[in-house]
Formats: sequence, C-alpha cells, structure tokens
Amino acid sequence: MADRATNAHEQAEALLPWYAAGRLEGKERALVEKHLGSCVACQRQLRFDHRMIQEFPALDPRFDSSWARLRGRIQRETRPPRRIVPWTGAWDLLKRPAVATLAAAQLAFVVVAGAVLLSLSRPQYQALGSAGPPASANLVVMFRSSATHAQVLETLRASSASIVDGPTSAGAFLVHVPRERRPAVVAMLQADPQIQLAQPVDVAAQ
Amino acid sequence: MSSSGILKTSTGETMGSTKPDDRELLTRVACGNLEAFERLYRLYQLRLTRFLATLLKRPELIEEVLDDTMMVVWQSAGCFRGSSKASTWIFAIAYRKALKARARWPDPVEEPAVDNRVSEEPGPDDGVHQRHLHDALVVAMSRLSADHRAVVDLTYFHGLGYREIAEIMGCPVDTVKTRMFHARRRLKDALAGSLGDWL
Repeated sequence: MADRATNAHEQAEALLPWYAAGRLEGKERALVEKHLGSCVACQRQLRFDHRMIQEFPALDPRFDSSWARLRGRIQRETRPPRRIVPWTGAWDLLKRPAVATLAAAQLAFVVVAGAVLLSLSRPQYQALGSAGPPASANLVVMFRSSATHAQVLETLRASSASIVDGPTSAGAFLVHVPRERRPAVVAMLQADPQIQLAQPVDVAAQ
Repeated sequence: MSSSGILKTSTGETMGSTKPDDRELLTRVACGNLEAFERLYRLYQLRLTRFLATLLKRPELIEEVLDDTMMVVWQSAGCFRGSSKASTWIFAIAYRKALKARARWPDPVEEPAVDNRVSEEPGPDDGVHQRHLHDALVVAMSRLSADHRAVVDLTYFHGLGYREIAEIMGCPVDTVKTRMFHARRRLKDALAGSLGDWL
C-alpha cells in the first residue's frame, strides 16, 4: 500500500512541470490531479512550477549571459580577489590601472597618517587663561580639493567636530568628536562626496 | 487545481503547438518556395535564437548555428514526413546543430566570478525583490548543464510536452523527466532564499 502511494507520488511529481504548462491530458492529467488533492509537497512543487513559468519569459539567455560576463568583469576590476602575488609578478600587477590607483590611494593614506602622528607629537601650547587641556584628536578628516570653505565649515559643524589641529601640509584636519558619536560621524563623513578621507585615530594623550 | 494553460510567444503565437500552416509552409519550402521559407524563418527565428542561446555559451555561435539550422530546413524540407510536429522537427535539427557546434567549440572556461552570489535578504519592495529573483534565476540557470537548461527552457518557456522534448533531444522520455527532476531541484535550492516564504 505504501509502495503504491510512493509510486503515485513519484509519477505525479515527475509530471508536474508539464501539468503546470498545460501539457498533460487524459490519464496522466487525472493521476496528477488526484494526487495533488492529498499531497502538500506536490502542491508546493506545483506553485514553484507555476512561478517558473511566470518568470521564464523575462529571461533572455542571450542578454543575460552577456550581461553576466560584463558584470563579472566590472566586479573583478573594482574588487580584485585577494591572492598572494609572487615578487616576480608584483610589478606587472602594479602596472594595472585599478591596482595602481589603489596603491596610490594607500600611499596617500600613509602620508596623511604620518603627518597626523607628526603633528600630534609636537608640544601643545596653551594660553595661560585656558580653561583646561584641549580635547585630543580622535578623527582625521581630509576634504576634496573641490570642497568650498563654507562646505568645510558646515560639514564640521554638522558632525559636532571641533578642530584640534590642521590643516596639515597634506590638507587634513585633526578633529575631536564625542567618543560615543564617533562611529556615526565617521559613517556620515565617509558617505559625504566632499570628503576624501575620514578615519578614526586613537592617540594617547600627550 | 487548474493548469496554467498554453503559453504565448512574444509575437502572440501559441507555443507548444504547431500551427497547421507550418506543415503547409514546409511542403512549399520543399518545392523551393523562398517566400514560404521566409515566412517560416520569421516564425522560428526568435524561438530558435532563444533555444540556441540556452544551449550555447558562445554568443558568436548562435547566429551561425541558427543559419545552419535553417539551411538544413531549406535543403531537407522534403524529408519531413509529418510523423511529428513541424516545430519538433525543426527544434531537433537546431539541437543537433548546437551539439555539433559545442563539440567543435566547447563552452569557454568562465573566469571565477567575484560575487555571483545573490543576497538572500529580500528587497524592500516588490520591484527590487522581482529583480533579485530574476538575477538569482539567471545565476541558477547558468550553473545547470546544457541539457538540463534545454529541458527546463523547453518546458517552462516554450511550453513543450515531455514527449516532444524527448524527440527533439533524441533521448527516452524517462531521461527527459529525470533531467527535469534534477534541474528543478537545483533551481529550487538556488532560489530558496529568493523565493522565501512563497514556496
């Protein structure tokens, strides 16, 4: 009895795509309809087949394969997979435009970070009437050259940042923001098109 | 429960059933009637192009194989005996031509995709979700074998019965059912996240 039920299920399940496509007749159609009345798994499978029939006209294999190839190329060129490059191939890799751009950006970051650390290592001078020690910088911000003076001020004001030092020779500002707000401010600044760099720095008090 | 009914092509023709004049056209083509052949070409060009694009991963081969297929139809229309539908006979020629082309120029080795995965998180609205499902389906189809893709597309898109598909692919009907069974399971697995609660 159980074998017969299993057999009916397998037969019906195998025929479902063509039942969904309206391509079954007579006994096969009757078999599927009878089984569907009592089989939840096949009812679910039929919903899937109907959905596929609904979706397939939107597929265009010719376009889809071309687009997938181009999209893959774009992804590869903008996000190269991590891999170990032997030294002999390193120069060839560096000559690729995308890699060279990335290397230049990293070099710029190192220069800015160096300038920041250098400026933080300078002695701090305060007027005798100062209310207390200045807040230490916990964020370095670098604006794009296209940013106007007003945009710089407005961005710093909106992020509740106070300038601790800068601009450095590289054009970076050292600012202080309330510690609890720092992650949100960093995210906001990094999303700002006028910001070239917004990076937390944690420097021990001088 | 009701079945979905017959599908239509983009030109509004009924899919999965050969219009009566297909045979008439083939008869006239067998007599060298170029006008009838042009009409037949118009009827089949889009359907065959899609079918070949499902089988071949080299876009540059599709038009060539389509031309080869229709040349055989032109030259061999007199051999069509009417034991099957005209559409089945023509699709079978296309399938054999595609197999030969793939034997000569195997599928290109695809470079490893950086991110071929599709996020399983549903989109914020129906449009995004639909796009998400579409992309997931494209990826899932690309991972099926050519024979599995052919069976799935001939069923879900062209609306052909399994016996016609068996004739086209020159294999037993049980092979068609088995291919469909496995292909469907792979599609379901790949789309599980995209279809979500819907399944």
